[in-house]
Amino acid sequence: MSHLHIPDGVLPGWLVLAGWIFTALILAFSIYRVRNTELKRKIPLIGIISALMIVCMSIPIIPVAYHINLSVVAGIILGPAVAFISIFIVDLIIAMFGHGGITVVGLNTVVVGAEAFIGFYLFQLFMALMGRDSIMWSSGLAAVISLILSTSILIGVVYVSQINPEVVIGIEEGHPTEDTQEQNIQEIPKELVKGINIKSFARTILILLGIGWILEGIITAFVIKYVSRVRPDLILSEGA
Amino acid sequence: MDVAIIDYYANHGKSFLHKAKAFWKIIFTALIIASIIITNEFYLLLGIYIALVTIAIWTKLPVTKILTIAAYPAIFALIFALASWNGSWLRAGVIMLKALSAALTMVILIVTTPYPDIFNVIRPIVPKIIAEGLFVTYRSVFILLELTDDLIKGLKVRGGITRRKYINNVKNFSSGIGLLLVRGFDFSEKFYGVMNVRGYGGKISSGNTQKSISRDDVIALIIGILIFVVSLGTTIEKSLLEFSFYILVFSIIALIISSIYVQFKS
Repeated sequence: MSHLHIPDGVLPGWLVLAGWIFTALILAFSIYRVRNTELKRKIPLIGIISALMIVCMSIPIIPVAYHINLSVVAGIILGPAVAFISIFIVDLIIAMFGHGGITVVGLNTVVVGAEAFIGFYLFQLFMALMGRDSIMWSSGLAAVISLILSTSILIGVVYVSQINPEVVIGIEEGHPTEDTQEQNIQEIPKELVKGINIKSFARTILILLGIGWILEGIITAFVIKYVSRVRPDLILSEGA
Repeated sequence: MDVAIIDYYANHGKSFLHKAKAFWKIIFTALIIASIIITNEFYLLLGIYIALVTIAIWTKLPVTKILTIAAYPAIFALIFALASWNGSWLRAGVIMLKALSAALTMVILIVTTPYPDIFNVIRPIVPKIIAEGLFVTYRSVFILLELTDDLIKGLKVRGGITRRKYINNVKNFSSGIGLLLVRGFDFSEKFYGVMNVRGYGGKISSGNTQKSISRDDVIALIIGILIFVVSLGTTIEKSLLEFSFYILVFSIIALIISSIYVQFKS
C-alpha cells in the first residue's frame, strides 16, 4: 500500500466528474503520443506490465492491504504516456474487485498515473546526473520521491473535496455572509456535518504509507536493476 | 484479490445472474452504485448492503468468500471515516457502508460475469488500445499467476526466501518480479503474435451475445431499478426517510428467507 485507493461515495460528485474529465484528457493525449508506435509491440508490454501490477497488488506483503504497485516500474519501462494507459487499465480492472471505487477510477488514475509520470522523469534526471551505472539508485530514489509527491496529490484531492464549487464560482443567489453561514451550520444535525479533517487525514496516511514508500523504492530498484541486466532493451528504449 | 477464483466463479456458476447478459448486469450494477452514491441515510445504506448480501446468496457461490473479497476497501474507507470523525458513529458508518456496498456490487458483477463479456460491452466506448490492453492484461494475469506460483516455489526450494534474512529476501523477491516481467513479456508477445496470425482484430468472442432480453435479464434489471427508485425517492422526498427503518427490516427478512431457501435447495 504505497498509495491509497479512494473508495466510492466519499468524495463529492463534481470532483469525481472532474477526475474523469482530467483522466480522459490525459488518456487522449497519451493515445495521440503513441499513435505512431507499433501496437504489436506496445500491447503485449501494456498487458504484461498491467498484469504484473495486478498480481503484485494481490500479494500482501504485510497483512491488511499492504502491497506494492510498481507504478514507477511501469513509468520507467513504458514511458509516461503508455504507463498512463496501463495504469488506467489496472485501475479499471481492480475497481471491479472492489479495490478502489469504480466511480473514482478517474481520480485514482490521476494519482497513480502521477507516480509513473514523475517517476519516469526523475529516473531520467538521476540517470543523467549520476550516470548509467547508478540505475539502482536512480530508480529507487525516483520511486520514493514520486510516491511522496503522489501522496501529496491525494491529500490535495481530499482537501479540494471540501470546497463547494458552487460557492467558489458564485452560482448561489447572492454571496452568503459569515452570519448566515454560521446560522446554516448550526441548523444542520451534527451527524450530517460534512468535512474531512485534512490534518488528521494527512497525518494518518503519511504514517501508514511511509513504510510502503521505502519498501516500494527498494523493490523498484532491484526490479529495474534485474531488467536492465537481462533485457536492457525494455528500459530507456521506448520512452513514449 | 483472488483473480483465479473469481474467474472460476464467473465461468462455472448457474444462478440467474450468471445467466443474465453482461450488458443488463452492467446496467443493474450502475443503478445500485448510483443508489449508494446519492443517499447518505445510514439505515437505507445498511438495507442496501443487506440486500446485496441476499443477492450474493442467490448466486449460489461461497458467500463468505465473496464478502471477504468485497471487504477489501474497508481499510481505505476506515481512514476516510477516521479523518472525517465528528463524534457521530452514523457518519462513520455511512462512509464505511458506501465503500463496502459499492465494492460488493462490483464483486457480484465479476463473480457472475466472465471478464471477456464485460470487456465486450465496454469495447465500443473505449479506444482500441485500451480495449486490446484490457484483454491482453486479463490473459497476462493468468500467465503471470502460473509463473508466480513456480517462482515462489523455486525461491523457497533454493533458499531464496528464508527466515530473518530480510534484505536477502527483498533482493531475491524483487529479482523474481524482474524475472516475471521478462518472461511474462516474452509469453505475452508470443501470445499476441499468435492471436494476430489467427485473425484477431480487437474483438473477443463471447458466448453470451444474444441481443434479446431474457427472464434473467429482467429480474436483474427490476432489482436494480427497485433499489434505485427507493434511494432516489428518499433523496428527493425527505419525508420518506422515516420508512428507511422498515426497508432495513424488509432486507433482513429477505436475507433470512433467502438463506434458508438456498440452504434447503442445496
